[in-house]
Amino acid sequence: MANEYDVQKQGIAKFLDYLCLTPLGAIGFLILIIVPLFPPFNQDYLLRWFILAAIMGSGAMAFDFSSGYIAVVNFGFAAFVGLGAYTSAIVANKWGIPLPVAMLCGAFTAALLGFFTGAISLRMRGMFAICLTWFIGIGLMGLTIKMVWLTRGMLGLQTLYFFGPEASNIYYWYPVLGVALVTWYILKRMARSHIGLAFKAIGQNMDAAKTSGIDPTRYRIMNFTVSCALAGWIGAFYAHFIGILTPDFLHTAKTVEFLVIAYIGGRGTLWGGFAVSFPLIWFTEMLRSNFDYLPGINLLVYGLMLILIMIFYAGGMAQFFEYLVDKFKDNATVRWLTT
Amino acid sequence: MLLEIKSLDSGYGFLQVLWDVSIYVEQGEFVALIGPNGAGKSTTLKTVSGLLEPQGGEILFEGDAIGGLEGHLVCRKGVAFISEDLNLFVNMTVRENLEMGAFTLKDPAKQAQHLEFVYELFPRLYERENQFAGTLSGGERKMLAIGRGIMSGPRLLLVDEPSLGLAPQLTNEVFKALKALNARGTTILLVEQNVTKTLKTASRAYILEKGKIVLDGKSEDLANDEHVRKIYLGH
Amino acid sequence: MANPATESAVDQIDQTIGESFAQKATRWLFSAGGITVCLTILIAIVASIDKGPYVLVNTIITGGMWALMAIGLSLLFSVMNIAGFAHGEYFMAGSLTAYYAMLPIGKYTLDNPESFMAYVGPLIAILAGTLMCALLGIITERLVFKQLRMRNREGWLLNCFLITIGLSIIFQNTHQLAFGADFKGILAYWDFPSVSIFDVYISMDRVCAFFIAMLTMIGFYIFMMFSTAGKTIRAVSQDEEGARMVGISVDAVHIMTFALSCGLAGLAGASLLFMFPSYPTVGLMPLYNSWFIIILVGFGNVVGSIPGGFMIALFQVLTRTYFGEGWEAVIPVLLISLILIFKPSGIFATKVRTVWDE
Repeated sequence: MANEYDVQKQGIAKFLDYLCLTPLGAIGFLILIIVPLFPPFNQDYLLRWFILAAIMGSGAMAFDFSSGYIAVVNFGFAAFVGLGAYTSAIVANKWGIPLPVAMLCGAFTAALLGFFTGAISLRMRGMFAICLTWFIGIGLMGLTIKMVWLTRGMLGLQTLYFFGPEASNIYYWYPVLGVALVTWYILKRMARSHIGLAFKAIGQNMDAAKTSGIDPTRYRIMNFTVSCALAGWIGAFYAHFIGILTPDFLHTAKTVEFLVIAYIGGRGTLWGGFAVSFPLIWFTEMLRSNFDYLPGINLLVYGLMLILIMIFYAGGMAQFFEYLVDKFKDNATVRWLTT
Repeated sequence: MLLEIKSLDSGYGFLQVLWDVSIYVEQGEFVALIGPNGAGKSTTLKTVSGLLEPQGGEILFEGDAIGGLEGHLVCRKGVAFISEDLNLFVNMTVRENLEMGAFTLKDPAKQAQHLEFVYELFPRLYERENQFAGTLSGGERKMLAIGRGIMSGPRLLLVDEPSLGLAPQLTNEVFKALKALNARGTTILLVEQNVTKTLKTASRAYILEKGKIVLDGKSEDLANDEHVRKIYLGH
Repeated sequence: MANPATESAVDQIDQTIGESFAQKATRWLFSAGGITVCLTILIAIVASIDKGPYVLVNTIITGGMWALMAIGLSLLFSVMNIAGFAHGEYFMAGSLTAYYAMLPIGKYTLDNPESFMAYVGPLIAILAGTLMCALLGIITERLVFKQLRMRNREGWLLNCFLITIGLSIIFQNTHQLAFGADFKGILAYWDFPSVSIFDVYISMDRVCAFFIAMLTMIGFYIFMMFSTAGKTIRAVSQDEEGARMVGISVDAVHIMTFALSCGLAGLAGASLLFMFPSYPTVGLMPLYNSWFIIILVGFGNVVGSIPGGFMIALFQVLTRTYFGEGWEAVIPVLLISLILIFKPSGIFATKVRTVWDE
């Protein structure tokens, strides 16, 4: 990201830049790596929420890649995640394919559906594309329920664990961070390139983009396919972490979860959703366990937060962060941390 | 003074378009606001009619401050705005559009009276009374827009570029109608790019360039002014 | 300068104005809309003969209510450019209110089965549901959408959509929190013997639901076409600036629109309480249905929602009959996808300015 404080990057800084991480981001990542090794965070119960937060956060990043860049809200997003999950699980169960490869199969099927969805929605304006993805999500969930011979429907599909059913959650923490990092890298690399510029142009003003020589079809398909591929890959990881899959994982309500995280985090920023996923998941879990006589209170708060953000602070947490950075931009440390 | 615009600043958010604009219009006058494209003429009318909020200065209509008053309230005070986009109700008939124009009139007798007057002024509208506004030709739509505007019996009419997109013959018809309205007592503030025609119709004019009033005076005087002749009249 | 292109277009329209009614009707019959409507009626009749009259009965009863909901959703679109994802929650609120209103009424009617209350009571409950939702709609508009409009007009369609998602979450979870997740239903509104038409027994509740839907549609039409308030709503939906310019308070119209839209959804929910008991997520299916309908007939097409409602109802009944329970999540997706791909303006070719400008 070029700015007036641009300095020749050397050594570690250059390496970080190659990974598309700012020093602050790298520090954040390091914290995530180290924290679960210490009490009280090394409890299995807490680690589970860390892992889920990382999964939701990664998903939110992939979601934001579409909604924040080409302004197409993939309202069936959870179905693509679920598609990857189910594919990976089925492929591993039926044919004994090693799990990392199964995960790629999941990514592939989701990417394929993403490709076709992107291709179909090419002529449509924002609202229609949202509707299409929404109903594809509904349809996919319906299929998952009905195709009991394949998915065991509402009974749930048992999946193979990465590290066996008895393994402690800590084993999953580093792989999930790896998934998050790879997701981030792929998305940020694309976003930084001229492809990302084209995405933003299409998202802001389709007609202006066209007259600038950008073919919206091609880029829309590209964006959507990548977003869905990663969604499927992340979903596949989830499948082999959680041990059992049910069709309601593909429900619109799940998409809404990804959506809320992405928007509270900050649309169009990619990292916002991931960062905010941890406090959000922790907060909702805390609400759920402390106020268990008030069922659904955590979701209620989710909904309220979404509305408040939309009305008062549309840029989300990332916007607040940018505001702070700008306020302290005369401080050299701040500048170094954030470029 | 019917309308007094004092040191008006206006614009769209961060974009300021008008700077310290002062215009006055006396009861019964026909005043024009001319200037090149993008000078801020439409912005002026939009601010007066309440569709835009002023950023500074005052607007007084019949002595009351109307700056910042909402569009529909300004209309109820007796100011009608005929916009450049016309803003017709495309899925309503000509007659329904005119009836909507009389929305603020409570007296059905007056409504009928005004309707008759509009049909007299624009016989073509009467012919196409039950036709949908979206299917009218360009000139007919302008007439309908003006007709709808006068249905409420306004004391001040703000007209934004009526001749835009019209064939010369239709332009003449429109200007004739405006003159007739003025003769009946309606004060008119007209925004136009067609300077020749305007200076022949209006008695006074203001020249707006880049958001500032650069010149004003009687039409005959302006027509002979060197700056005006060079830039707007082409000689 | 007169535009030759516009002139010829005007001439074309002039021709259609000169057309006789018969010519217009024939032209409509062969349009996508006409064909679909006729096909639907045909299929309905054939399926009823094949599987039994309940096909037609269920279609007509529920179709009217879905139509009302779709009208409400269309209104939000055409007048305020809002994509209502929370529309189903007003259905839920209507059914919830009607349930609680019916509790005392039902008890009284049980003890006094021949009283005046037995006839009028359910209507009171349904009215309560409708009015409560109209009120909720007004509160939603003032508290949420007005705030957004005052602060940020950019990306309005998307922002509102997201807000309605938040609203949906709030409504559902408030219901669960305050009233519990269990099913709150009634056995019947009007506990009278079923009506028999052509050897088919239709419960009194269904008959009344049908008439409520029909009367509401007629009332709505009269309101929109002939009342001043209705005309102002139509004016704002066609040109908001123009409405301001003629002295209409657009703010008042917004309040009215929300009240109407949510009130209609509440009416549907309340009227169908005997069929759909109230629980937090009962609004999901009506939500999907409303969206199916407006995609089918075109966003913002209020009148088209009426035949659309019946079509979707038929589609659902047929799917359930021929494919079995649960497939109505999958099959309509195909239909919707086809429409979105090939005829995004719906079978009635609706051109809603605001949605297309997005």
